[in-house]
Amino acid sequence: MTARILVVDDDAAIAEMIGIVLQGEGFEPHISYDGAAALEAFDTVKPDLVLLDLMLPGIDGIAVCARIRETSGTPIIMLTAKGDSTDVVRGLESGADDYVVKPFNPKELVARIRTRLRPATPSSSERLTIGDLVIDVTGHEVTRGETSISLTPLEFDLLLALAEKPSQVFTREMLLETVWGYQYKADTRLVNVHVQRLRAKVELDAETPRIVMTVRGVGYRAGAAR
Amino acid sequence: MNPYAWRSLLQRTRHLWRSSLQLRTVAITVFFSTIAVTIISGYMSISIATNLYEARKAQAIAEARQATSSAQELFDSSVATNGTIDVEAVSQTARTTIRSVASSPGETQFAILRTPGQSTAVVMTQSSTAGIDESVISGALREQVSTDDGRLYSQAVSLQNGADVDPGLVVGGVFEVPTAGQYELYLIYNVRDVQQTLDFVQQTLILGSLLLVGTIGLVTFLVTRLAIGPVRVAAETAEKLAAGELDRRIPEKGEDVIATLARSFNHMADSMQRQITQLAALSRVQQRFVSDVSHELRTPLTTIRLAGDVLYEQREQFSPTAARTTELLHTQVDRFEVMLADLLEMSRYDAGAVELDTEPTNLVRLIEQSIEAIHPLAEQRGCELRLVAPGGHFEADVEARRIRRIVQNLLGNAVDHSEGLPVVVYVDSDSDAVAIAVRDYGVGMDAAQLERVFDRFWRADPSRQRSTGGTGLGLAIATEDAQLHGGLIDVWSVPGEGSCFRVTLPRRRGSSVAHSPIDLPPIDLPPIDPQPIDVLPLDHVAGERDA
Repeated sequence: MTARILVVDDDAAIAEMIGIVLQGEGFEPHISYDGAAALEAFDTVKPDLVLLDLMLPGIDGIAVCARIRETSGTPIIMLTAKGDSTDVVRGLESGADDYVVKPFNPKELVARIRTRLRPATPSSSERLTIGDLVIDVTGHEVTRGETSISLTPLEFDLLLALAEKPSQVFTREMLLETVWGYQYKADTRLVNVHVQRLRAKVELDAETPRIVMTVRGVGYRAGAAR
Repeated sequence: MNPYAWRSLLQRTRHLWRSSLQLRTVAITVFFSTIAVTIISGYMSISIATNLYEARKAQAIAEARQATSSAQELFDSSVATNGTIDVEAVSQTARTTIRSVASSPGETQFAILRTPGQSTAVVMTQSSTAGIDESVISGALREQVSTDDGRLYSQAVSLQNGADVDPGLVVGGVFEVPTAGQYELYLIYNVRDVQQTLDFVQQTLILGSLLLVGTIGLVTFLVTRLAIGPVRVAAETAEKLAAGELDRRIPEKGEDVIATLARSFNHMADSMQRQITQLAALSRVQQRFVSDVSHELRTPLTTIRLAGDVLYEQREQFSPTAARTTELLHTQVDRFEVMLADLLEMSRYDAGAVELDTEPTNLVRLIEQSIEAIHPLAEQRGCELRLVAPGGHFEADVEARRIRRIVQNLLGNAVDHSEGLPVVVYVDSDSDAVAIAVRDYGVGMDAAQLERVFDRFWRADPSRQRSTGGTGLGLAIATEDAQLHGGLIDVWSVPGEGSCFRVTLPRRRGSSVAHSPIDLPPIDLPPIDPQPIDVLPLDHVAGERDA
């Protein structure tokens, strides 16, 4: 089954070009030129992944990102013309999983898309516990007692990576490699922002985390299972 | 007071002296006016004393002359017709006459003494006022007087007056007593009144001088205060302006020179503020423009990049001409992209929108990685890369991305200009700083080139074949990167001997570097030898890299 990818960019040429590249790689691209059309297409096309430019006429990329996140955990990769750090952080905070800075090359883009589309790493066990949470690996479900917690695929991957090696302290670089698939050193803010988003969902008290623990000066590790 | 207290007092005084113009002005004025007033009043005092004394002396001499001539007349006219004279009786009369001639009878004493060494028929008894101390009439004076040359002689003496000593004046003259020979008349004046007048005058002078000096000091104080006050305000305002408070001004009061100063100063500040604001706005517009252009270029460049890459992947299906064209397009788009990235980085620096994001980084390891990365290029150029790292094996607090960018830029430049000779990277550290030096033995640069080497878009030799892209912004960005860390980049180069670029960074973030752990050029150079060297003549060679 070919993955459907929604490409949202107001520049027709680049949108079409990305479409050509994706088609060449065996994906099924759908193109929208503004935020409203993108939200509409998201409902009709039901894409497997969204490539989203941040600078859009009408509803801007950040808002589109936040609206999609309200209803869906579909992976979103931002296309940003600005290496401007505030834009990147705002994008990530509004729910984007990853970002690619223009100008990018096709290989880089395709690699990022494939990482986000790949099925979660096959796990040795079917059920894992982290803190007071239970992770159903095959069912892609996280529960606290009777309540189910809804996570995006990326957040699930992040939690799973920590839960699989409870004794391991993960540096941000290690998480970037395991969860985001970066072989070289990338932006560690990706980790920081998503750990914050994950904590907001799984922690009972975000001020004193019990699931995703911070190891000062090193990184993160899983909270002790109960 | 102990010596330390004295010293600190001395230091405080010295500091006050150096820091207060007002104190200095007042002190100098008082000092010199004291000297002037002392000289003037001293001179006045001396000349008044002389005048008073001389006047008194002249009066005394005149009196003495009159007394002497009166006595002489008296004796001459008392000679009887038979030529005899009752000298004792006349002497009695003479004493009365003399006493009446003296101005202040109570104060004036006299003595009639016989000139010694005469033998006459009759000898008149010597006489004097009661209580006279004849010792005040000195032998020297008597000798002068007794010569009888018609003159009167005087001498200043001290008179015992009870417990006090009063100044006195002795005037002496001679007269001839018929039949009894030559006698000397001495009038002794007490000049205490002159001394008293003089004392009073001197007291008045001293008091007046003190008051005068005090007044001068006070006036100077007030005047300098009046003059220095506005200057101080101006200095403070200038300081604030320099510190960036561009809307600071001096209050303008009145029409005098100080007000003119204030007005001129404020005009200067106004025009400065205007210019700075204008320049800042202009610079912002320009930076904005560069930044906007760079951003706007990114979207079309991405499209071109994607298109180029798609074509490049399919180049084997094209005709040879089209395939080569595609290759050129591909490499030049890469180059364009690097340039745009550099331009953007530079515009971020210009806009001041750069923040340092440090993390503990092992510089030696970072440099090893950079050498690894440049190795294929170095091999292509037949240039050997070496690392000499006596220091730097610790976690420095730096932003690895920027330091890597600096090192890769310097390495790329060195390899490009190495002429196939080895390139040596030195790393060393001391307690305050860590330094990286990249040394090549290639073409080197002359003084004019050295001066421009860090300029934007400047290239040492445009005809030189470059393999590292070379936007001309590399060293400019490297300089900014180093400065962002509180460090600096400097360079040594001699044509034909090669170059050495040195990066010095502070060990701790926020401090600055005063001295680099590596000298320029590094002194412990291995010998330049085109043959590979097996053993470097150094104790602590971290690694010679081949792979």
